[in-house]
Amino acid sequence: MDATEINSASAGSLGNTAKTVLREAGIGIALIVLIIVFSLTTQHFLTSANITNILTQVTINLVLSIGMTFVILIGGIDLSVGSVLAFAAVVAGTVMTLPGLDPTVAVMLATVSAVAAGILFGLLNGLVSAWWGIPSFIVTLGTLNIARGAALQVTGASTIYSFPAAFNAFGSQTIYGVPVLFLIALLLVAIGWFVLSRTVFGRVLYGIGNNEEATRLAGHNVFFYKVAAFTICGAAVGIGAIIYMARLNIASPIIGIGFELNAIAAVIIGGTSLSGGRGSIIGTLLGACIIGVLANGLILLGLSDFMRQMITGFVIILAVVLDKYRERLTKA
Amino acid sequence: MKFGKIIAAGILAVSLTVPAVSFAADKPVVGLVMKSLANEFFKNMLEGAKAHEAKRGDYTLKAVGMQSETDIETQINAVESFITEKVDAIVVAPADSRALVPPLKRAMEAGIVVVNFDVALDEKAKQEAGVELAFVGPDNRAGAKLAGDALAKKLGEGAKVVIIEGNPGADNAAQRKLGFEDAIKDGKLSLIDSRTAHWETEEANSVFANMLTANPDIKGVMAANDSMAVGVVKAIEAAGKTGQIKVVGFDNIPAVQPLLKEKKMLATVDQFGQQMAADAIDKAIGVLKGGAPLKGWVKTDIKLVTSDDVK
Amino acid sequence: MANPMQSAAARTAAADVRPVLELSDVRKRFGGVVALNGVSFSLRAGEVHALVGENGAGKSTLIKILCGIVKRDDGNIVLDGAPYEPHSPADAKAHGIQVVHQEFNLLPYLSVAENICFEDIPRKRFGIVDYKAVYDKARHALARIGLDDIDVRRPVETLGVAHRQLVEIARALMGESRILILDEPTATLTARETERLFAIINGLRAKGVAIVFVSHHLNEVFANCDRVTVLRNGESVMTADIADTTQEKLVASMVGRQLAAQMAETRNLDASSRIALSLKNLRHPASPHADGVSLDLRYGEILGIAGLVGAGRTELLRSIFAADLPLSGTLERDGQPRRYNSPKAAIRDGIGFLTEDRKEEGLILAMSIAANVSLASLGKISRAGLLDADAETRLTQSLGKEIKLKYGKAADPASTLSGGNQQKVVLAKWLANDPKILLLDEPTRGVDVGAKAEIYALLRSLADKGLALLVVSSELPELITLCDRILVMSKHRIAGEVAREDFSEESILSLAYKDENNHGRH
Repeated sequence: MDATEINSASAGSLGNTAKTVLREAGIGIALIVLIIVFSLTTQHFLTSANITNILTQVTINLVLSIGMTFVILIGGIDLSVGSVLAFAAVVAGTVMTLPGLDPTVAVMLATVSAVAAGILFGLLNGLVSAWWGIPSFIVTLGTLNIARGAALQVTGASTIYSFPAAFNAFGSQTIYGVPVLFLIALLLVAIGWFVLSRTVFGRVLYGIGNNEEATRLAGHNVFFYKVAAFTICGAAVGIGAIIYMARLNIASPIIGIGFELNAIAAVIIGGTSLSGGRGSIIGTLLGACIIGVLANGLILLGLSDFMRQMITGFVIILAVVLDKYRERLTKA
Repeated sequence: MKFGKIIAAGILAVSLTVPAVSFAADKPVVGLVMKSLANEFFKNMLEGAKAHEAKRGDYTLKAVGMQSETDIETQINAVESFITEKVDAIVVAPADSRALVPPLKRAMEAGIVVVNFDVALDEKAKQEAGVELAFVGPDNRAGAKLAGDALAKKLGEGAKVVIIEGNPGADNAAQRKLGFEDAIKDGKLSLIDSRTAHWETEEANSVFANMLTANPDIKGVMAANDSMAVGVVKAIEAAGKTGQIKVVGFDNIPAVQPLLKEKKMLATVDQFGQQMAADAIDKAIGVLKGGAPLKGWVKTDIKLVTSDDVK
Repeated sequence: MANPMQSAAARTAAADVRPVLELSDVRKRFGGVVALNGVSFSLRAGEVHALVGENGAGKSTLIKILCGIVKRDDGNIVLDGAPYEPHSPADAKAHGIQVVHQEFNLLPYLSVAENICFEDIPRKRFGIVDYKAVYDKARHALARIGLDDIDVRRPVETLGVAHRQLVEIARALMGESRILILDEPTATLTARETERLFAIINGLRAKGVAIVFVSHHLNEVFANCDRVTVLRNGESVMTADIADTTQEKLVASMVGRQLAAQMAETRNLDASSRIALSLKNLRHPASPHADGVSLDLRYGEILGIAGLVGAGRTELLRSIFAADLPLSGTLERDGQPRRYNSPKAAIRDGIGFLTEDRKEEGLILAMSIAANVSLASLGKISRAGLLDADAETRLTQSLGKEIKLKYGKAADPASTLSGGNQQKVVLAKWLANDPKILLLDEPTRGVDVGAKAEIYALLRSLADKGLALLVVSSELPELITLCDRILVMSKHRIAGEVAREDFSEESILSLAYKDENNHGRH
């Protein structure tokens, strides 16, 4: 017996190390391959201006994906992020353009209100799905409509524009070619990574995603953690809304349509399991970068819109298939 | 309930000037069938129609809106109740270019003047039903050509331009693209890329930034709507090329007014959406008063808007 | 579980030396892990052939090869004189090999009848399901195994575990089978249902069906089987006629050492120790009785709870732990009344709960051993919400030593461990909290013989240290070996108490069936 178990245990430990390395490195390698391919096939891919562009274009999706990672890790899904982004943006836009406010105060108030709006919907998603045990797919499908309707209602379907000049300038600021907005997203990546890998809170989220009942029976308040995960996602959406406004200088109730799907794609490509319990923020960062690099590189290659869309779809499926393959390879 | 409110408002407005008893007999009644009033565009359009009614004062307006863009049944019911009420004219922005043909045919058979605006009814459906029905609306292609011509004039022959398209498959997106292409041909511009950004600001921003990387010598951009033009302008700013690349849009939304004023955008096109219903009503009343029946496509006003038009 | 159904006479009558299936030197590797390292055995028509071995010995892999789920790497399999190489489960079935798997393959939302007929649904023209035929066929199939009191239109979801097992067996018997493989069929059955199953097996044997019977219960093997093959570390180490061997010999060849003495140690209990937990009329929501359950549990005591499947044993533990909130009744902890509103509160009060279903409720298989050990005591290995990875590893190492856990690294996923070591990890999770009371629901389910002995020794040493243990088990020998006192439950009530000096399977079973006999089966 001893022999058997020591054998299986050591094989397991080897497998596990290999698995961890493969998981994150696999996505990283895919990203590097993409970068090499585009560098060789296009003239402008590896220029500092283009890298700045890619980082700018990745930012909003990355921020949403960080929040989405928390929700997917507990086995949930948030389909409302695109709509909530629009709602948070128009609330913030309304606050920012209130007459008679000092620009600095206006921007600060707007930021707070965008995050508050996101948190409000995150709480709603979390409370309803956790309290009644309704699949978050259904609850967030509902809030998707509620948030969109609320955004239209608040604005009477009109676009809000002309934010303070300093805010607008801040949105285009770069430090050594790296957009400030992307640095904010990176900061969120670091926070998310820390929370998920180094705190009790993160540990319990993984526990819930893997085995909710075992986690509950180990004395953890599953309800609280579920609501918290959705609330974090909502807060990330609020930050995403402010980033949107800083980058484009408008806030409209019809922005963000379909953003949830991009965020989910980034999380999945990043190796997080849709059934929860497995994945990481670093994977999500790489997943978002793959989507951004692909969108950028395919345009530089001069591929048509329709080809581009098809290739992006293939990549999503390929990522999940590769993930399955990796899993099988490392399991045996 | 909206319907009731509008009628009540109409009655109130009329009763201020003339005795309520006589209004039905004196003035023709026009039934207006609108799309979703949750949409800013149609809400403004209805307000334009109401203002028009008050201004002309020689007809009575009855308006019906819909709950959502796809609520076709409400429109059909509205047409049928207008027939029952024996209104003099029906002015309709159809939510479905086929489903509305049969009820409108019944209305015409009942002697009601029918005017179709905003979206044209399907030619084939009209033929099959044996209906001759004019369409009152803007020419998106001609409008896009106006904007494109302005760009061509500014840039001169041979300049490299790109098009940012609307949703693939949408009729107005296709028409506007054709109009831009007409202008490119006439102005001898060089079209180097054309991509969709799905009417979306953020997507237009990303897509155009990437196009600019691939083709740093782009001199002009034709965006199929102003929301996308806003994203393009931001991308030009981020690339530090403000003033070096000219942008035209479409729709004349409020958000582009400052851009026109600061000359970050060259021009846009106004199709006077607010007046579209009022125009159609004018045409209907013209027929009622003995004018010639409308035929084919009656084009409504379009106008190029440049920084000179922005105060 | 002793079973009187099988007589030596029946055994000889069915004997027939013609081998229907012959395996020689079958080998299988999964990546770097050797699962089968040379298995040979032959199966005769009309025999019940037991396949025994510890978990991980290769029984499951062997079954998977026979039923076409995985392919062997090497070796020969001959079925009726012809080489046998199934390329899919359907192919295996076509060859007349039927398997009742340990893990159910039922479709929970479909009816019993639909499940039974699922492989070949009777249909009318245009592919329309012929429900009358489906129901008739299902009733017939259930009647064959003596189950006629069940509505075949009921969704499987609404059935208890034992009934599901029987439905699974009925389904396997639908096809014409020459070889029937039963993988741990009695694990979830009560004694009475087990008897019935063996009556069915005897009937099949008489018809010349060859039966492979996989079980941990050596009593069942000796009472019902004709021959036995022992697997150890992926090899077949012995095959013998049941009549020529003994339980001790089998266990010795399974584990390579004698365990009997270790399993039968006795303890001295101090009867005057304080009462740790006292229940008065505690009623689980599923209990039909308002008076619920009353009992006292003392420090240092191992109190067993026996009963049939559905007697409310698991529910009792869940209502103590507040995994399900009790409807009524009171709970006293050290003489103080308590009302826990969540497992968290029960844990804080020094209670731990090792659940019946390790994979669903006990362990997080994909997470590391260390993360599983610390799951209920994260406060101990963190400061201000930040995890201290070193403290977690230290906790795992010290507890691992204490409970003789065999593992590679603390960071390995729990899924890499054997069943016995997984169960030890669950125990470690609770021990990390220094509990005063442990509730243990089937503590050795799916655990092999060697690890079982270690878990018994561990539980005894915990009781010696003064912990109060409440143990639910369906294996009477386990309760008899382990406990100081046994309460027998029936229909959510305590049917009686058996003191250590009166322990016997008969005394316990008669109490367990007391209520059943009065009211009939449910």
